[in-house]
Amino acid sequence: MPSSAPDTRLADLGTEPDPGTEAGPSGTTRRLRGRRIPPTVVLSVLVIAVVLVSAVVPSLLAGQDPINGVPSDKLASMSGTHWLGTDYLGRDMYSRIVHGARTSVLSAILAVAVAVSLGTVTGLAAALGPRWLETPLMRLIDVLLAIPSLLLAMVFVAAFGFSSANAAVAVGLSMIATFARVARIEALRVRSAPYIEAAEIAGTTRVGVVVAHLLPNIATTLISLAVLEFGAAILALSTLSFLGFGAQPPNPEWGQLVAEGANFFYAAPWLVYAPAAVVVIVVLAVNRLSTYLDARAFDESL
Amino acid sequence: MSRSEAPADPPLLRVRDLSIAYRTARQWNPVVHDISFDLRAGETVALIGESGSGKTTLAGAVLRILPANARTTGGTILFDGADLGRASRRQLRQIRSHELGYVPQDPTMSFNPLRTVRSQLYEILRLTGPERGPAAEAEELLRRAGIADTARVLDSYPHQLSGGLLQRALIAAAIAGRPRLLIADEPTSALDATIQKGILDTLEQLRAELGLAVLLITHDLALAAAHSDQVITLDRGRVASSPYAEALFASAPKPVAVTLAERTEDTTREAPQPALTVDSVRKTFGQLTAVDAVSFTVASGTTHALVGESGSGKTTLARIVLGLLPADSGAVRLAGRPVDPTNRVALREVRRDLQIVHQNPYGSLDPRYTVSRIIGEPLVRYRAGDRRQRQARIGELADAVGLPANVLQRRARELSGGQRQRVAIARALALNPKLIVLDEPTSALDVRIQDQVLQLLQTLQRERSLTYLFISHDLRVVAGLAHTVTILRSGTDVESGPVADVFRSPAEEYTRTLLESVL
Amino acid sequence: MQQLLRRAGVLALVLFLVYTLVFVVLVVLPGDPISNRLSDPDAGYTPQTVDLLKSYYGVDKPAALRYAEGLLRALQGDLGHSLADGQSVTGKLADAFTPTLMLGGIALLIVLVLTAVVGLGALYGRIPALRVAFMSVPSLIYSLPVYLVAVVFIQAFSFQLGWVPLNGDGGFAATFLPACVLGITISPPLIQVFVRSLINADRQPHITVARARGIPEWRIFTRHLLPGAALPSLTVLGITIGYLMSGAVVTETVFTRYGLGALTQKAVQEHDQPVLLGIVVVNAAVFMLANLLVDVIYPRFDPRVQPRFSHAK
Repeated sequence: MPSSAPDTRLADLGTEPDPGTEAGPSGTTRRLRGRRIPPTVVLSVLVIAVVLVSAVVPSLLAGQDPINGVPSDKLASMSGTHWLGTDYLGRDMYSRIVHGARTSVLSAILAVAVAVSLGTVTGLAAALGPRWLETPLMRLIDVLLAIPSLLLAMVFVAAFGFSSANAAVAVGLSMIATFARVARIEALRVRSAPYIEAAEIAGTTRVGVVVAHLLPNIATTLISLAVLEFGAAILALSTLSFLGFGAQPPNPEWGQLVAEGANFFYAAPWLVYAPAAVVVIVVLAVNRLSTYLDARAFDESL
Repeated sequence: MSRSEAPADPPLLRVRDLSIAYRTARQWNPVVHDISFDLRAGETVALIGESGSGKTTLAGAVLRILPANARTTGGTILFDGADLGRASRRQLRQIRSHELGYVPQDPTMSFNPLRTVRSQLYEILRLTGPERGPAAEAEELLRRAGIADTARVLDSYPHQLSGGLLQRALIAAAIAGRPRLLIADEPTSALDATIQKGILDTLEQLRAELGLAVLLITHDLALAAAHSDQVITLDRGRVASSPYAEALFASAPKPVAVTLAERTEDTTREAPQPALTVDSVRKTFGQLTAVDAVSFTVASGTTHALVGESGSGKTTLARIVLGLLPADSGAVRLAGRPVDPTNRVALREVRRDLQIVHQNPYGSLDPRYTVSRIIGEPLVRYRAGDRRQRQARIGELADAVGLPANVLQRRARELSGGQRQRVAIARALALNPKLIVLDEPTSALDVRIQDQVLQLLQTLQRERSLTYLFISHDLRVVAGLAHTVTILRSGTDVESGPVADVFRSPAEEYTRTLLESVL
Repeated sequence: MQQLLRRAGVLALVLFLVYTLVFVVLVVLPGDPISNRLSDPDAGYTPQTVDLLKSYYGVDKPAALRYAEGLLRALQGDLGHSLADGQSVTGKLADAFTPTLMLGGIALLIVLVLTAVVGLGALYGRIPALRVAFMSVPSLIYSLPVYLVAVVFIQAFSFQLGWVPLNGDGGFAATFLPACVLGITISPPLIQVFVRSLINADRQPHITVARARGIPEWRIFTRHLLPGAALPSLTVLGITIGYLMSGAVVTETVFTRYGLGALTQKAVQEHDQPVLLGIVVVNAAVFMLANLLVDVIYPRFDPRVQPRFSHAK
């Protein structure tokens, strides 16, 4: 249930005059062909690209040492040498945020990977598997949904121990139910579509229908959900780190940077604002991309 | 155009050079161009046209209920001399509640589902301020709209009432303010054939009694001709020139009698063996008996029609024939082989000879597939020929159904409704099946396109001696296409036999009612 | 009534499964907190004392036995004792429940106010840009982490403006600020669904028909649009309870308030299995009851839904 999926798609759902059905290509076609990628989506992709680069090769974007600071420079404000100032140990904040992307982003990717793989398999098995399997799987989903997701992640992390990798797996496990539910509903929806029946009558076997028609048609929805949940995972992971249950010092992580900075808020507010702003911007970008993909999947399914 | 030559009384509604545009992503998209017409008290003007012709937009403009992205770009609408476009909010409310009555398109969507009919009628009566109490007035209105069981209707929620009753209740609501102009936007298109006539008669009667002017919007030419003083044909937002109107009239399905008279070819030739045998098939869903011991046979090379209104069991029966649904009892045989959903291996073999064209051309094609891949799917699945042979076959099929070659690499969503249905027909033909089930194959299409698709089906049948099981609620289409017919009602076989016999001299009362409702 | 009983049965079953799942997950903990804490040589406990304490808390018994015993006691309302301070878990939960209930109640009111404001703005905003701005409110709020809002609010309203005292658990003012933080951060799903339903409802033919009949706009809003949009939102209100409890962990921790959230944070920190298990079970129970309540209420407002509970008519 962490997918609260706020989207801005509402904005561009104008009522349209009904286009002539036979005269030339339909209105849908014109919309798809004429569709340029909106600038906000381009910007979002750019943001995500920069963040991914920071996660893989942080030294490319930030040269200064994120772990060992110069104590005499502590709590310095923004300047040419320290773009975002320094923290209480004199470490360069910009460098710590860029290096923090590694933990934050890779953990979120791991979390989503866990959730997508286990969740999709569960959901598809419930929808398409043998009938006796459906009830136990549904109950499992019920159980996971009955526990608020952050609490569930905390239970797992309490069991596994505090580290960024454990937090990632914990968050991933707490998101399984979302994917399982969506995968199941989508599979059931697509399975009842007339084109599935048509394929069956055209001689496609049951397995063939699933592989050739069903999976491709639910993939787009699951991909846009995965992108959305990537944002949710970044939020959840930074929250766990903020509480001290995720990444452990001295390795930087965005939520943990905010927690450290909060102690010096009065003297050096940028120590809170800078890492928090990065989280906000990344989550906004990820959500925008997700709604765009979702809208496209919707158009394509027409 | 108007009946009275001398302009003795000024028209109640005068539309002059009206143009309306919708805003799309980047531009204004004109949908109504320079339309002018007059409507006098006691007169009915019918606006006809296909979907997208701008007829509903025009009605919305008179009521000023167009969505926010629509704009009047020119012209005026005068109601009783006053310009509706300049009316203030308050004046507009006054005119809407006391001068205009609106009978909308889809009765099931036009009441608030959360409140009873009574509370919604009272809400209107509060505005119109009748002399009687609201209870008496509401009952009187419903009676006028042809509802006898007023107490039950008033205390029902919309979902508890049939479409016909709801449409009558909406008519009652429309005349509550004693309006002078009634705007009826496709008032019967969502209703079954037998109910349509009654609703139109009621409108006609109210017009006479109350001296209403009626603006009737419809896509049904026969209906427009029968119920109006003046017909205005719209084509893509313009008043159509007469050749277009004639073409539209020419392509309209002819009355049953005319069609039957035209079919001189003798279709009752004896076929040695039936392509399809349905033997006392029965199917129940819980309490409901969907199909009750129905039997018929379809001779090879002919078309058998299953006719009935919604809920008659025709779709259930079709699904049983296709092996998508097991029958409770009875048997279906295709060229002697049983169609049995419980035996999947045998079923798959039978299905090579058993194909379908669905009702909805938008749902029956996988949105992710190209046209070529859709048509070729049965060939691939039944391993018919090698790659090159299959490509050739796909090209040949596309040609046969009249699809241009350049659509083969497109996806279904890029095609029009008619083109999609051609793709579905090509797919059904791919394996040269012994029977094709046509499940209302044209009901989702515009009139002209319907005609083209039906002609294609007939041509294909003649050239390839195909056998069709044709499911339909439209008797006019059935008269033109089918050789034999079974009329279904609530799952039972009311009457069956050769189309000419059944339609010319129906033995059953129900068949007569059905036939009368489309004349 | 029969339906209600059936639902209650499923609820009990899921609750039992929640207990089992969390027990299984927590038992794989690397070492129990007694050994973790007491075996530290600096603590000065002899191995004998450690063993004694272990058997006192029952952590030396096999897991299956502890599970059976724990479940049996839990059915009688006894959730065991905290490993950290030895107090009764049931008692701790009861103490922490009231402040969190108050916090959550005020937060929910704030959510409702926010939802109404954004909904009206998105529907009746004068210019399209304003309506779009209102519609993008939920996705903007969604991207704000709870901890950020909490830290900034404390800084702004307690330190800089001095409006709200930071410490002191009692008093409305001390609860209002954290409730604002909680309410704002959990509001996006409800706002989103409400706005979307409102705009969907506005496009329904029956609304157009009502306008065409000359019914005044305020009446269309209160009698036709609002009931139509409130129904889907009701379901999300149940789900919002779940977000409330997640959000309370951060809010109470940052505001150093006592409550279920703070208790959760402490229990995770100290690997206090019985407390954590109790918290999860209580959370799940509250959450499922809230959703059950929504399901009971729903048919009363929507005549299309068959009343699933016989006493509904």
